[in-house]
Amino acid sequence: MGTFRHGIQTNIDVKKRIPFLTGDAVSAYLLILPFFVFFFLFVLSPLLRNFLNSFTNDSLGVKEFIGFRNYEKLLRDRSFLRSVLNTFTFALFSIVPLMVLGFAAALSVNRPKKAMYAARAVLMYPYVASMVSVSMIWLYLFDPGSGLFNKVLWMAGFSGSDWLFDEKLALPCLIVVNVWKMIGYVMILYLAALQGVPQSQYDAAVVDGAGFLGATWHVTLPAIRPVSFFLLATLSIECFKTFEQVRIMTNGGPLDATTTITHQIYMRAFSEFKMGYASAMSVVLFLMVFVVTLLNLKFGGQLEEDRGNG
Amino acid sequence: MTGRVAGFFLLMFFLLAAGIPFLIMLSVSLQSMEQIYSPSLALLPNPVRFSNYPDAMSNGNWTRYLFNSAYVAGMSTVLSLFINAMTGYAFARIAFPLKRPLFVLILAGMMIPPQVTLVPLFIQMKQFPLAGGNNLFGAGGTGLVDTYAGLILPYIAGSFGVFMCRQFYLMFPKELDEAAKMDGCGRFRTFLSIYLPLSAPILGALAVLKFTAAWNEYTWPLVMTNAGADTLTTVQLALTRFRNEGEIFWNQLMAATMVSSLAILVVFLSMQKYFVAGILSGSVKE
Repeated sequence: MGTFRHGIQTNIDVKKRIPFLTGDAVSAYLLILPFFVFFFLFVLSPLLRNFLNSFTNDSLGVKEFIGFRNYEKLLRDRSFLRSVLNTFTFALFSIVPLMVLGFAAALSVNRPKKAMYAARAVLMYPYVASMVSVSMIWLYLFDPGSGLFNKVLWMAGFSGSDWLFDEKLALPCLIVVNVWKMIGYVMILYLAALQGVPQSQYDAAVVDGAGFLGATWHVTLPAIRPVSFFLLATLSIECFKTFEQVRIMTNGGPLDATTTITHQIYMRAFSEFKMGYASAMSVVLFLMVFVVTLLNLKFGGQLEEDRGNG
Repeated sequence: MTGRVAGFFLLMFFLLAAGIPFLIMLSVSLQSMEQIYSPSLALLPNPVRFSNYPDAMSNGNWTRYLFNSAYVAGMSTVLSLFINAMTGYAFARIAFPLKRPLFVLILAGMMIPPQVTLVPLFIQMKQFPLAGGNNLFGAGGTGLVDTYAGLILPYIAGSFGVFMCRQFYLMFPKELDEAAKMDGCGRFRTFLSIYLPLSAPILGALAVLKFTAAWNEYTWPLVMTNAGADTLTTVQLALTRFRNEGEIFWNQLMAATMVSSLAILVVFLSMQKYFVAGILSGSVKE
């Protein structure tokens, strides 16, 4: 219905060639003006400025054009290269468990019972809570001297671990926290997809002799495919942007073991004030997000909504 | 039947995994430091120290921090929703030249992560003309750094809300506008007195999302406010200060974390339906 109506409306837009200064058009421009002022000032202009700045040595004092030197430097910057590797590792090892566990969580709460609303609320709360408070809780759990995990290990007769202070364990620990926090989000999306499947399709599968696994394979999986594409894209972008838990829990350490691209941007810009150099890093981050977005548009069919849905 | 049992255990696993860290937080917030540092595993606080809460709240000016967070989150929610709804209405209901390219611009804006614009936005705020001692060219002072405006303004620019409001208003019957026009209502009056009062479902969902996001925000306040002063510190920043001291008082830190999450917990539990609707509306493509 919505698609239909909007489809027609767009056609009219094109064909009628509305003159600029009808009363209606003027009111429309006035209505959208405040938004575009903010949009220009706080989204478009910084984005543009970031590109320009990445070719300068801006350090909040001097500012000269230095061509591609920042980008050349990036390729030789070990901390930055490490952060790229860490960011991709973080994304890969977050997304796979997230999709599997999130789907399992959605299956486990997908029953029409009152108690399930409460269960969903519990599973969603980590996603709703701030990354700062989540980081603080896990910082305690991982604490080598007094944290829960080491106390459990000691009880069982093992020696404790250094967790976030261990160069090999720190990044996996951050991944665990990330997965734990984001499961609720994945669950909600999968749950909606599952509930969109009409019962009759399952009944038909059962009539055809399919068991639980058969029904899942033939009915459920096709139904959750679009959401899975969407999740793949959003979770990738979300992981590429990782900063808060890194800054709070490890500050990139030990020895750059957990530094991420956004963490590098923050450190260069706000502790060394190398604004131009940090801008070049931001451009890299932007390109990563841009590529994922394009892939998602091409294969996920996400701009469907642009044609309007009701 | 085995499916049912497996499902039950699966559910129990997820509930425990999600819930235990929060229960530990609650427990630690009531423990003494002696108990926290003792190597034995005692999950329940013994003795129960309620005094951790007042102690934590007097570690810094927490009344101020809570006010700051509430003010910043509240202002950005109200302002952004009004602007979003107004813009969404224009895109849903009025034909005007360049409508389509402008709308594509808005959609593209949804894909720009704030982390990418963090550095230039900071520079721009610092060099904001005629603010914080700056001259017309943005030099000489601190601009909007360390001001409420600096904290709030960038939150208002989000395009997601515009998109959502437009989708919502597209479902309204067109006769509504025609009737309003007959009664001599201009577009703004029509929006204000007809569309806006009917927008509770969409604005509710957006408000919950926006308020939570702004309350939980860490990165922008971190770069925008002076770490040394208390005046603009938000609760999230204040929490991280417990770590900067030599010894971490885990009990006070957990108590403060409880307090700072309480607002979000209340919003979430009372408006869970809106929250879920908001998350889904960003994704469901039929």
